[in-house]
Amino acid sequence: MLIPNHPDDERLSALASGDTDATADASLTGHVSSCIRCTDLVNELGALRASLAELPDVPPSRPLRLLPAVEAQTSRIDRAGGWARRFFAPVLTAGAALALVGLVGTAAPAFRVQEVFQNVGSELSAQASMAVEAPAADGGGAEAGAPAASTEEATGGEALSAGDASSPAESNVERTLSAPGETPDDADDGASARAPAPAERSPWPMVLFTGVALMVAAALLRWILAPRAG
Amino acid sequence: MTDAPERTPANRTPPLPDEAAVIQRAADGDRTAFAQLMEHYQSACYGLAWRLLGDPDHAADATQDAFVHAYRAIGSYRGGIFRSWLLRITANASYDILRRAQRRPSSPLPDGEEGSAPELPDIGAVNPVVEATKSELYRHLEVALRRLPEDQRTAVVLCDVYGMDYNEVAAMTKSALGTVKSRIHRGRLRLRQLMAEHRELFSE
Repeated sequence: MLIPNHPDDERLSALASGDTDATADASLTGHVSSCIRCTDLVNELGALRASLAELPDVPPSRPLRLLPAVEAQTSRIDRAGGWARRFFAPVLTAGAALALVGLVGTAAPAFRVQEVFQNVGSELSAQASMAVEAPAADGGGAEAGAPAASTEEATGGEALSAGDASSPAESNVERTLSAPGETPDDADDGASARAPAPAERSPWPMVLFTGVALMVAAALLRWILAPRAG
Repeated sequence: MTDAPERTPANRTPPLPDEAAVIQRAADGDRTAFAQLMEHYQSACYGLAWRLLGDPDHAADATQDAFVHAYRAIGSYRGGIFRSWLLRITANASYDILRRAQRRPSSPLPDGEEGSAPELPDIGAVNPVVEATKSELYRHLEVALRRLPEDQRTAVVLCDVYGMDYNEVAAMTKSALGTVKSRIHRGRLRLRQLMAEHRELFSE
């Protein structure tokens, strides 16, 4: 029996697939069950689907590499991680340069100051014994001792901040020699000269720290962002 | 290609007898175990790629890409049918190549002269399980598939040949669900027309 106004063929294909919206459509299934043309079409499409599902596997046209070559895999990873390397390499280099400059800047004055202290220390000890003997004779030993000690501290501060330890040290040694005869105001001058010393702290340790921090941060980020196998 | 009902026709690669153990070894970094899996399923992967791409070289490239993707992803494999998992990877790799290679309006693949497409492998010769009549049917089906517009062929191959559901096909082809259904139905109806003169092969 042929019935006009057949359903759309795509709806019949959906029915052949077993789509729920098609199988639940009573008008569609009702039509198909009473229409030879539509029944044949649904059956044909069903057979076609079954045959398509049976199509066999196909051997490769050429031998395939079953394992990705380690080199190839590495190069892929290198390519993928290339941007991270390119971005962080200059940062790493800049960090290393800063750290090197900071290290040299920090270490060099320290060696020189140490030398100055050694020289000053030996000369002071020699002069101090002389100075103690002279004021002791006129009774001014108690006043003279304190300015001498203050000047010695100021000498160290100036040597650190000036970076040129030898000449200030020598001049202060000379001042130390005359210190026992000076008034307490002179000692105040020494204290006021000492005051700006903390503001003039050496920048080199900070440079060194910044450089090391940059290096560590760049290396860490490079390691985190680089892709890995697997 | 839903994981629930496993459907492995007789002429398709069945699972390895000790597949779960081999997969576990491969996931643990055993390269030999991974190679064993890829060797076992290479015909399945290549067949899918070849049907989607229609070109032996592109199909081999896509299969090779799929192996690399699988190698990198097998550590995160979380069970299910391994063949389906691998075929999904292959389908994605093939589709990537298809998109790159065919940035032009969808068109059927060239298939040479009627019934004598030189790229078609002689399925009966390489797979002794396939009977002669079936071999003839499959050959005509392959030729008919290649005559479909690319979007319909992709949808029919993924859905009807490899059993993926509509949602999977839609996600893979980045298309709307309704569009995918329409492509499948229209492709199927077009296939029926193309196979009209070989209709007797379906009943044998």
